[in-house]
Amino acid sequence: MKIKVLAFAAFGEILGRQREVELKGDASVRELLETLASIVPGFREAAFEPTGILRDYVLLMVNRKRIDPERDLSRILAEGDELAIFPPLAGG
Amino acid sequence: MIEIAEKEISLDRMIQRARRNEAGAVVSFLGTVRDDGIEGMEVEAFRDAALSELEAIRLEAMSRFSLTAAEVSHRTGSLAVGESIVAIVCSAAHREEAFSGCRYILEQLKSRAPLWKKEISADGGGRWVEGHGR
Repeated sequence: MKIKVLAFAAFGEILGRQREVELKGDASVRELLETLASIVPGFREAAFEPTGILRDYVLLMVNRKRIDPERDLSRILAEGDELAIFPPLAGG
Repeated sequence: MIEIAEKEISLDRMIQRARRNEAGAVVSFLGTVRDDGIEGMEVEAFRDAALSELEAIRLEAMSRFSLTAAEVSHRTGSLAVGESIVAIVCSAAHREEAFSGCRYILEQLKSRAPLWKKEISADGGGRWVEGHGR
C-alpha cells in the first residue's frame, strides 16, 4: 500500500516536504517510521533515541489528526493514509 | 477570517473587517521579526492543518469572550527583520473581552497551529526556533 508522508521544518529538510512510501501488507505507524529510517540518511538519528524509542520532539498526525507517539505507533495504516511528521510548533 | 499567506499582512484591512456597530472595542496584536542578531526569518506552515486549527481557535474565542469578530493572519515564506509575522484583531462590545480574545487566540495559536520559524543568520545559516506543543 502507498502512504503519503508530509514532513515539516527540520524533518522536512531530512525527508523532503512530501514523498510516497510503499509498504507491504498491514503496516503500522512504527513500521512506516522504521522504513523511513532505513531508506533516508539522517532520519534515524534525528527521530529515534539510540535505544530505539521515538524522540519526544517528534510529533505525528495521521490524516490531519494528532496521534500520541506513546500509544498510537501500533496503529495500522490504510492505503492512501497521510502521515505528517514535524517538531514542536513554533508559530506566532 | 483566517489567512496564511506569503503576502504582506494588512492590519488596516483586518481592522476594517472586524469593525461592528455593536462593538465598542477593537484590539489588535502584531508579532514582528525581532533583531536578535539575525538577518531574517523563514516561516513554514502545514497550511491546510493550520487553517483548520486556526478556525477552530477563532470560533472558541468568539464564543468564550463574546467577540463580535476575530481576524487572524499569519505570514509564510521569507521575512526580514521588522516585518510582521502574525496579526490578530478582535472586536467586542467592551475592551476586556476584546483584549482577552486577542490574547487567547495568540497563546492557542502558538501551542496548536502547525507553523514553524527558522532564524536566518548573516552568513546564510539557519536555526529552527524551538517550539511548543509536545
